[in-house]
Amino acid sequence: MIHVYAIARELEELPPVGGLGDAPLERRRVGGLDVVVSRTEADEPSEEAIIRHAEVVEALASRSNALLPARFGDVFSNERELAGAIERKRAELESALARVRGCVEFGLRVLLPDSDSARPRAARTGREYMALRLDEANRRTRLAEQVDEPLAELARASMRSAESSELLLAASYLVPERDAQEFRTRVELLQSRHPDLSIVCSGPWPPYSFAGETGSEE
Amino acid sequence: MSTSERHALQQQVTLLELVDRVLNKGVVLSGDITLSVAGVDLVYVGLRVLLSSVGNLERLANEAPPRAALRSQAGS
Repeated sequence: MIHVYAIARELEELPPVGGLGDAPLERRRVGGLDVVVSRTEADEPSEEAIIRHAEVVEALASRSNALLPARFGDVFSNERELAGAIERKRAELESALARVRGCVEFGLRVLLPDSDSARPRAARTGREYMALRLDEANRRTRLAEQVDEPLAELARASMRSAESSELLLAASYLVPERDAQEFRTRVELLQSRHPDLSIVCSGPWPPYSFAGETGSEE
Repeated sequence: MSTSERHALQQQVTLLELVDRVLNKGVVLSGDITLSVAGVDLVYVGLRVLLSSVGNLERLANEAPPRAALRSQAGS
């Protein structure tokens, strides 16, 4: 089987790292695109395999100007299938490459304090109960916007994922590399402005969340 | 939250975010992703055990997003 790591543009040399099961990395040129693959026997998503995949993508990202990480498990049984799939998706890949060019991704998770999400509020009537619920929802929306806005402002694109009672905000931001430091500074500023929240920022990542079709929704 | 708790939170979230990205994000060239769902579940179970070792991290572990895009394909 052929395991795909990423599609890149203007890729320099292949990085000196092994692929899954230490198989050597190989480069395929399809049109003007570089596809980085390795041969693999099994494509089981063990923790080790996942981390290896991520390491390869990371190493490739530092050697190219625009890169689309492939999702783990995107395997092909032969070269012709792979080339055919690239040809079919060509337009989509080109526009995604243009979108992520020169950008890194940051992940953000904002947790509400325990006391906040579990705060008991006694309502005497149904109407009062509904009013309290509405107030609470509005307060959360405003708070999430206060955190999201200054970060989204720096980003070329951003995406929010499902949130829950304790998770105020879960989002990914596609940020030009030159603004990465400013992004981190803004996260720190937000944390000091909202000491009761736990704001956890991860990254910079290669642009996983903005490589596929969903990345173009914003 | 103390500094060391915050540090642990940061580390665990980073691992969770990494696994989420590799398995659920990224471009898909083929029509179908043929991951063994059992294999993926094991990874998530492993992560949950890891995450629950630090206080309120359990809550975050439960936020692992649904694997909507995963499909198992018989016989391929």
